[in-house]
Amino acid sequence: MADRSESDRLKQESWYQKTIRRPEIGSFVVMIVVIIALALASDGQAFNALGLKNNIAIIAQFGIIATGAALLMIAGEFDLSIGSMIGFAGMSMAMMMKWGLPFGLGEATPFTAFLITLCMTLFLGWMIGNIVVRSGLSSFIVTLAFLFVLRGTTEVAFRLINKSTQISGLPDFKETSWFAELMGGEVFGWFYDLWFEFGGNLNRKGEQWVSGFDARFMWWIIIAGAAYFILSRTQLGNWIYATGDDKEAARANGVPVNKVKIGLFMFTAFCATMFAACQVFDTNTSDAAKGNLKELEAIAIAVVGGTLMTGGFGSVIGVVFGAVTVGLVANAVFFIPWIDGSWFRVFVGTVLLAAVFANERIRKRITGGI
Amino acid sequence: MAKSYMQVKGLVKRFGPFTALNGVDLEVFPGEVHALLGDNGAGKSTLIKILAGVHQPTSGRIFIEDDEVQFRSPRDASAAGIGTVYQDLALNQLMSVTRNFFMGRELKGRLGVLRTKEMDKIAHDEMLKIGIDISDPRQAVGTMSGGQRQTLAIARAIYFGAKVLILDEPTSALGQRQQMEVLKTMMRVRARGDIAIIFITHNEIHSNLVADRFTFLALGQVIGAGTKTELAGEDIRRLMAGGAEMKDLAHELAAI
Repeated sequence: MADRSESDRLKQESWYQKTIRRPEIGSFVVMIVVIIALALASDGQAFNALGLKNNIAIIAQFGIIATGAALLMIAGEFDLSIGSMIGFAGMSMAMMMKWGLPFGLGEATPFTAFLITLCMTLFLGWMIGNIVVRSGLSSFIVTLAFLFVLRGTTEVAFRLINKSTQISGLPDFKETSWFAELMGGEVFGWFYDLWFEFGGNLNRKGEQWVSGFDARFMWWIIIAGAAYFILSRTQLGNWIYATGDDKEAARANGVPVNKVKIGLFMFTAFCATMFAACQVFDTNTSDAAKGNLKELEAIAIAVVGGTLMTGGFGSVIGVVFGAVTVGLVANAVFFIPWIDGSWFRVFVGTVLLAAVFANERIRKRITGGI
Repeated sequence: MAKSYMQVKGLVKRFGPFTALNGVDLEVFPGEVHALLGDNGAGKSTLIKILAGVHQPTSGRIFIEDDEVQFRSPRDASAAGIGTVYQDLALNQLMSVTRNFFMGRELKGRLGVLRTKEMDKIAHDEMLKIGIDISDPRQAVGTMSGGQRQTLAIARAIYFGAKVLILDEPTSALGQRQQMEVLKTMMRVRARGDIAIIFITHNEIHSNLVADRFTFLALGQVIGAGTKTELAGEDIRRLMAGGAEMKDLAHELAAI
């Protein structure tokens, strides 16, 4: 008994035990269940060549903004302005493409339109971050204000300049601009080529059916990959966790808490802008209502992926699983004709609640202590 | 006599009309535990906050190895070798031991990548040096006992160059057994011989067990100071009560 020290009370766990206690495990199991259920209910339609492309398109959309929302949540803040930021960025890019650059700078190219829009959205993110950290107000309220302000600004700007709250019939910039192709074109064509080589991916005439994924798939991989790397392997990642866990403790140890938060508000603005750019240059349209409710879906996915509402804990892998789950269910109505599309919301709400309970258990297990 | 590492002379701190410290002197020696005692509101917190660079003194001088210093920020103080371990320990529960150990001062390679293995090893070894062998430096701090957390915070302060270790009531929120662990940890740090410990406490028994030198504060002033041999046990008890005679108190209590 005497040679037993306090640290012996922490049981060493086997690989299996460690795996099933990982925070991502819940979202992983839910994802697998959804994949199997959808495959069965849609008779495999959801994962044929076109089904896969369409599913990945919406999963990637969700994934891009959920990554931003999750990192910010880990640092202890929320951003309710993501959806309005998407609408604002989409409006900004489409209007520049249609009416030219502001201040008489001449014709816009997709790249310049994107760059100027990104400067504006990053500035907005920086401003939101500054208001939150300097005022000490809840980010819930500050970003809720921006939810209204940005949506209203988007509508007013549309009506003032464009006389209508939507833009359609823009030329297809993908044919002339490398940048539009990069945002709205196709990627990973080799995947579908290979599929064709192996005798699948055929249309009714027996030709190759689908030629590639939407470019946003690549952007999702890049953004989520970078976020994973930063969060788990770098100094900045440690600062993000530290900021969200106990910001006074972090500050006492020299972590620049405010800079971390402001930077992450800019990151969610960046994610929203990427979302909008992929959408605008894919469809060559824009609409003042774009991105509506997306902020709440992004937060829901982050929570389903195991991110704690209180901050300090979460994983990008979990958020990837969450995005797959929510994306598949959102799209399910297209593959299962007899289902009412509104079941999507019922599902998300239910899974969200279950996830919050599961996350709370994880938090208690970690902080319960000896 | 050994040379003091830090010397404080005539420290005064006023917050508006309120005088928190009214000319405090303090001298700390490497390899010694210096107990700082006093009732609530005696000025202990203000004193350590000045030493930690959180507040700036209204007047008075601080010397480190005979050189006068001025701390404008906590960063200045820690650069001068003052390591403060506050009551809340400044630890994050959800993060691992290693991530806490290096919080804000991570070892990084190219692109800010953490040198994880090296950091794990240092955190483990530094804690082992002062008496706690944690089996897994990747365990969350939330799973550790209060004594282990205290040790982590102390090991961290020492590793990052503390020559004066300020411990703000390190035993107050712990159970009996863990209080003893913390006292043992303090004695191991003392035995290194190169670190001066300022031990802030309410507990007369604890201070008597480990301290070599005492300073008593009351109403912002030093009302007694000296080495353990200079101050007899009875003296300490009298000073702990803020200078009021215990006998008087006994009478007052009896009269109620």
